[in-house]
Amino acid sequence: MTRTISEEPAGSQSAAAEPAERPARRQTAPAREPGVGAGAAAIEVLNGGFLLIWGLITTLPLVWAIVSAFKTNGEFRTDPMGLPSGLAWDNFARAWSRANIGQYFLNSVIVVAISLTLTMLLSAMAAYVLARYDFPGNRLVYWGFVSGLAFPVFLALVPLFFVVRNFEGLPLVGQFLGLNSYISLALVYVAFSMPFTVFFLTAFFRTLPTAVAEAGIIDGCSHVSLFFRIMLPMAKPGLISLALLNFLGHWNQYILPVVIMSDDDKKVLAQGLASLTAQTGFRADWTALFAGLVIALLPVLIVYIVFQKKVQAGLTAGLLK
Amino acid sequence: MRHGKYPFILAFLLPGVLIYGVFMVSPYIQAIALSFTDWSGYAKTQTFIGVDNYRRLLDDPQLLTAFRNNVILLVVVPLVTVVLGLFLASMLNVGGRRRGSAVAGVRGSAIYRVVYFFPQVLSVAIVAVVFKYVFSPSNAGGILNSVLEAIGLDSLARPWLGEPRALIWIIVIVMIWSFAGFYVVLFSAAMQAIPRDIYEAALLDGSSRFTTFRKITLPLVWDTVQVGWVYLAIQAMDGFALVHIIFGINGGPEGQGDVLGVAVYRAAFQQTDYGYAAAIGVLLLALTMVLALVSMRALRRERVELA
Amino acid sequence: MSRSQQRRSIPTGGSRRRFLKQLGASGVLLGPGSGLLAACATGGGDDDDDDRQTGEVTEQNPFGMPEDGEIEIWIFDGGFTDRYAVELHQPILKQRWPNVQIDHHAAVDIGAELQARFVAGDPPDFVNNSGDGQMDTAQLVADGQLHDLSALFDAPSWDDPSVKVRDTLVPGTIELGTFDGTPYVLNYAFTVFGLWYNKTLFDEHGWTPPRTWDEMLALCAEIQSAGIAPWTYQGVTAPRYMNWPLLTMAAKQAGPQILVPIDNLEEGAWKQDAILQSAEAIYRLAENGYFMEGTEGMEFRDAQAAWARGEAAIIPSGSWLENEEADAIAEDPTFEMAYMLEPLLTEDAVMPYETLRATPGEPYFIPADAKNPAGGMEYMRAMLSKEGARGFTEMVSSLTSVLGAADDVELDAPGLNSAKQAFSAAGENVINWFYPTWYPTMENPGIDQATGKLLKADINPEQWAEECEAVTRQIREDDSIPKQTRS
Repeated sequence: MTRTISEEPAGSQSAAAEPAERPARRQTAPAREPGVGAGAAAIEVLNGGFLLIWGLITTLPLVWAIVSAFKTNGEFRTDPMGLPSGLAWDNFARAWSRANIGQYFLNSVIVVAISLTLTMLLSAMAAYVLARYDFPGNRLVYWGFVSGLAFPVFLALVPLFFVVRNFEGLPLVGQFLGLNSYISLALVYVAFSMPFTVFFLTAFFRTLPTAVAEAGIIDGCSHVSLFFRIMLPMAKPGLISLALLNFLGHWNQYILPVVIMSDDDKKVLAQGLASLTAQTGFRADWTALFAGLVIALLPVLIVYIVFQKKVQAGLTAGLLK
Repeated sequence: MRHGKYPFILAFLLPGVLIYGVFMVSPYIQAIALSFTDWSGYAKTQTFIGVDNYRRLLDDPQLLTAFRNNVILLVVVPLVTVVLGLFLASMLNVGGRRRGSAVAGVRGSAIYRVVYFFPQVLSVAIVAVVFKYVFSPSNAGGILNSVLEAIGLDSLARPWLGEPRALIWIIVIVMIWSFAGFYVVLFSAAMQAIPRDIYEAALLDGSSRFTTFRKITLPLVWDTVQVGWVYLAIQAMDGFALVHIIFGINGGPEGQGDVLGVAVYRAAFQQTDYGYAAAIGVLLLALTMVLALVSMRALRRERVELA
Repeated sequence: MSRSQQRRSIPTGGSRRRFLKQLGASGVLLGPGSGLLAACATGGGDDDDDDRQTGEVTEQNPFGMPEDGEIEIWIFDGGFTDRYAVELHQPILKQRWPNVQIDHHAAVDIGAELQARFVAGDPPDFVNNSGDGQMDTAQLVADGQLHDLSALFDAPSWDDPSVKVRDTLVPGTIELGTFDGTPYVLNYAFTVFGLWYNKTLFDEHGWTPPRTWDEMLALCAEIQSAGIAPWTYQGVTAPRYMNWPLLTMAAKQAGPQILVPIDNLEEGAWKQDAILQSAEAIYRLAENGYFMEGTEGMEFRDAQAAWARGEAAIIPSGSWLENEEADAIAEDPTFEMAYMLEPLLTEDAVMPYETLRATPGEPYFIPADAKNPAGGMEYMRAMLSKEGARGFTEMVSSLTSVLGAADDVELDAPGLNSAKQAFSAAGENVINWFYPTWYPTMENPGIDQATGKLLKADINPEQWAEECEAVTRQIREDDSIPKQTRS
């Protein structure tokens, strides 16, 4: 039914045919055009070198932060680039207790679980309709979403506080929404992530082949099942990369929770970590901050590596189905 | 097909639009409304003062510096980031040719895929500390100057963070460094969606890697490149977080590292002049939207030519 | 106790306000601007007297605090942390008032946490307004958001009912927190400003603190020839730290009156002879290359760490420096820092060499709409007790504005000890200026940027004075900034 199915046999045929094809080409090409071969080899080396250098540039700061998490503050202050003389594990203990990581970690997990699910679901639904259906007001809604990207978030903070607080006065929903509520914060995250997510997902849905959708319609799929059973799986790589980005954004979000979560037992991880950075004119506990970041970083890295595998797995599954 | 189309559209749009409207648009509209008042940010009342705040925009020389810097970011950052992102993504996804499968990334691409994303997982606070050490003087651990001195280019070493004219270029570099990872992921996702047999065919034709990229990869991911570009432009118009945390609320020495986002922040929290801050915010909104619309149009035309 | 529980437990003034709240909420859903505007309009309702907790005024309880009430306290969680509040001040209060409940909060970004609550008319009872997210005090005063502290200063002190609180404070403390004749802010910590030198290095080479600027320049030449940078300052972050010795030396030269026109934003204030003379002296350091190489491109913490490592001999700062750089200082057990007075520009200076700048700092206030302002003031009164102030000095190595509270404290901090001695020796000759408190943006970025250029020798003292004049003019002509004056 889908194009990917019909493609797959062709793909495996060519893969099967390849071993026969390839050695032949490899042998003949240098013989025929030696100059090009040397040039190509040089480009190969250059490319490889660049990939490696960029890899170092992106890795070293992370390594530096992790190494710094094991230094004493004195070592860090006097020789920021040096290696630690021992492993200052108490940085982690300080970070854990001072940033209240145990409780805040859990709060972050709860909020992000709700917000990420809703963000992806609602954005995908909206983006799909905006990308593939003509209706009056389509462009208006689309640009309405995009304009949310262009206004400074911090100007919204005070009005946002009132919007959220005013929900406390409403009957029924008042007990679930309002300040210091996981649900409120999650909904705020959803609202603030939708512009970005809808913007990219609309583009993703537009690139999906029309033929598949038409085939689905002919098969008698409803609009809803067409979306959930065909389009959503096809957009999986895009969905996963955006989910990943949103996960990072929600996980590290600091300024929105500050306005909404003031209860000490409702704060999220980023608020806890910020207490380690307070520094104006005073001592900052930098190494505890690095330790806290390493703790906060672990789930992010795990999520990323799992997601990354999923992108690959998703594609393979799509091809084999 | 027509049957049930509108109820379906409505059902799919409404939940998202509702949440977006209540929690994001309504605070924003209130902020915009406050740009026509003299509200300080702490007072319990405010007075309507018409367009006075907008008039003040015209004779604020610091805004001009901030705007100039946004334009520099706008021109340089998307260009370099997109080129870099495309190059890295194509190397990781379709760049390799050695092993059995015809279409794969270069050797080590599984590792690169992870490490290129590292800047994204570091919080802005850490990014700022790292780059302060990159650009600080060598006797304060400065990496760049130490490298320059080690390879005998002492004359190029500068106290970068104290050099007004260098400031915005520091932001350019940090932005490209921290944004590139996302675009590698984004473009990778788009490239993964390209049917493999198209590449097989090209390989059989004996096309070079560059030709394959230009003739196949680029046109097929162009939609993604287009939105990526526009989004980068929007990010470049912002730049608040990095500038604020690296140079501070005043935009560094002589305010030469300033951007509009920081100017809004300064007006709101340092000068406690929320009404004026909101007016700068509206200006920023207008500029960004015009920019997004124009670049969407311009890039769309490009796509037609390629296809 | 959590905020939401607390909010529910407080009587909300009946159905009228609930109705208004619902109106506000529907306004959010329906119309532009109406959410905040409606909330603002009704926000004033929250400070209705029906919310205010009161108790009986007695000699023991001068503000009439409810003896079983709750005080909501917000402490900036920065260099001092909030330990002094939890472990020291709150037990002192609880000892006298066992039934008072304290709802303690620590915050890194005070402004972000509390701004909206001020607007909503629902602020806490006591705020330590400090740190990066510090709220603009002058603006809060102008917007009527702060509570008058006159009653506090006129109340009997915690330890001795026959002495008023105001008479237990270092002179100038109340004035610094006074706006338009009304005291709103209690500045509790006490800072001595000046120069700090590496005593270990000085002793090693037989150098002594110079008495005059000529001696300073001679000493700098000597330090430089020993391969050490004579000076450094807080680099790219805060060149304004150098402005402090500049103004102090000018005041020593021509008398404290020279600072008044500056605070009053008068034209020509920065072009007074002594100011120019002092700028010239500082400029000489730049011209001669006496600042550590790279200082102009350094973060303040890196410059301070370089000084603590012995790469530079002298640095300007307030007495928080020792606490701030404790980690770097601890790395080298032989390192000892000491306080150095700013030298006299010439021998015929009007004020004695012992003159120094010292000022209360670390602001605390009570919001006008607090539910229990009397509780907030009682908390302040407890802080200002001998035990509270003494304990604070011991715990966070900072002096307080309570007279004599630290006299018999043996400080484990040689730098602070030397500053304490200098402060005693100064006697009456203590100076300060107010414009950084009154007009924060004038000090930073205004004067800060001008001074930064002077220190790089990008501009000369005359051009520097011109730039300072321009900054002053801008503040003077900006009607949106509330003005203060002094004589």
